[in-house]
Amino acid sequence: MTLRVLLVDSDGDRAAAVEAGLVAAGCVVVGVVGGTAGLTRAVRDSGAEVIVCGLDDPSRDELEGMRALHRDEPRPVVLFAEKAEPEQIEAALEAGVAAYVVEGMAPARVRPVIEVAIRRFRAHQALRDELAAARQDLEERRLVDRAKAVLMQKHRMTEPEAYRRLRRMAMDRGQKLGTVAASIMGKNPK
Amino acid sequence: MPSETLAPDLTGPRRAQRRHAARTLRLGCVQLTDAAPLLVAEELGLFDAVGLRVSLSVESAWAALRDKLAFGALDAAQLLGPMPIALSAGLDGVKAQVTVSAGLGANGNTLTISRALAAEIGRFPRPLPAAAFAAVARRRADAGRPVTLGVVFPYSSHNYLTRWWLASAGLDPDRDLRLVVVPPALCAQRLADGAIDGFCAGEPWGSHAAERGAGTIALSSGDIWPNHPEKVLAFAAGYALRDPESATACTAATIAATRWLDEPENKAEAVHILQRRIFPDLSAGAIGAAFDGTAEGFMQAAPLRFRTATLPRREQAGWWLRQMRRWGHIPPGIAEATALTPWRQDIWRAAAARLREVEPPAPNPPPADLPLAPMPETRR
Repeated sequence: MTLRVLLVDSDGDRAAAVEAGLVAAGCVVVGVVGGTAGLTRAVRDSGAEVIVCGLDDPSRDELEGMRALHRDEPRPVVLFAEKAEPEQIEAALEAGVAAYVVEGMAPARVRPVIEVAIRRFRAHQALRDELAAARQDLEERRLVDRAKAVLMQKHRMTEPEAYRRLRRMAMDRGQKLGTVAASIMGKNPK
Repeated sequence: MPSETLAPDLTGPRRAQRRHAARTLRLGCVQLTDAAPLLVAEELGLFDAVGLRVSLSVESAWAALRDKLAFGALDAAQLLGPMPIALSAGLDGVKAQVTVSAGLGANGNTLTISRALAAEIGRFPRPLPAAAFAAVARRRADAGRPVTLGVVFPYSSHNYLTRWWLASAGLDPDRDLRLVVVPPALCAQRLADGAIDGFCAGEPWGSHAAERGAGTIALSSGDIWPNHPEKVLAFAAGYALRDPESATACTAATIAATRWLDEPENKAEAVHILQRRIFPDLSAGAIGAAFDGTAEGFMQAAPLRFRTATLPRREQAGWWLRQMRRWGHIPPGIAEATALTPWRQDIWRAAAARLREVEPPAPNPPPADLPLAPMPETRR
């Protein structure tokens, strides 16, 4: 099975060495991005399964932002460092930061590191799911608040009356409160 | 360097040597004016004065700084206020306990907008009222060209203060506009290129963008929450436990540096130090504005301050946590006690006692929590 990798590294010479290492390890490098311009598009268009990025690369924060703010289909990010003490790498793996060292990089070691990172990424999915559920909940509350305000304005209802009306509609239709609120907002945009 | 780095032999000679080597405190910061207490402590020999050997590195990204602190490549670092919360919760896969021993500053960020967006808004007073911004943002969203604003990191005061300001005018930052992460040093260029319409970043990057003619400063973060806590000095939790004396000494040197920084007669030297150490390509004018308390010549109501912000206050950090919850950035299952564990006052108090530094006055309360959803009638 081949692994599709997007390499993010603003250091051209190093990027070439890392790319060669990845290819030797049986990865397909679908793109190399240097500098931070066009990063978002490159990640979206690349179809990469995993992003490999320098630990100190200036793009790091933008990659974090894509994950945290836009919730683009998240991909594991594997970091590499040029120099690191063995105990630091151990600690990095414990903290959840996947890292490997470029200097003296043996292709045979690269693939397992990336696979560890992907497994770890999937394990982290539980926290992501909890977060997604929380966002869903927030979204529903927002919709309900908005729908209540529409009902209050349109039918001159008090807030508890509007809420009761929503709940009644949800029960009658056998739908979730959020779904009913969304249908009201759909008929009364903004 | 061996390639078998995944299963290192922890009993190897390298580790044994390191254990007996004299310890140097490895401290990290980023290219921002509020790294000044750390840079000044080093330049003025304040670390030496408390008997500490410190290596201060300037890191290229917040994520790099965070990771190095999390896995022990750094002992302490300048962090964004919400970052210790994100680390406690293990957001985005990196989990670590840190100890916040001091605040590094209050205020000091600006919201800078492009000349084009400023022209769309028309003449406005400073600070720019959120409602005036919102009117244009809605027009742009309706036209399918939503306003794009840059913030420096997802878990940042910049992100949460900007979101609060937008929401205060009834905007939904996740729907009515686009928030993206842009490293501060790239903000001016992105603004000039039209890739973003504005950004919220620490100084001197707003003043630099204004000086380049790429944009104009619409407001300061202190206009949103006067004297809000900004960066913090955080230690890897293990380090603070293992070597409390070094953590206390480092904190004392940092507090001493903030005292020096808030003396107006030291301004020129402070600007010179920053220019030489981290801003070689920026003008003294752009760097100095934050010290003068001005933004493009306008006096700021709540300018960058150092000394009054050093005591770490858990109740203030609680505002970051509430914003993270409000925007769905942290799972609701993370208890407040867990999230705010990093904020401790014992190290600060031990350090302050050595300097006879008195407790700073109680700060301004944070902005009120806004209702979750903007009401439709306030939207039009």
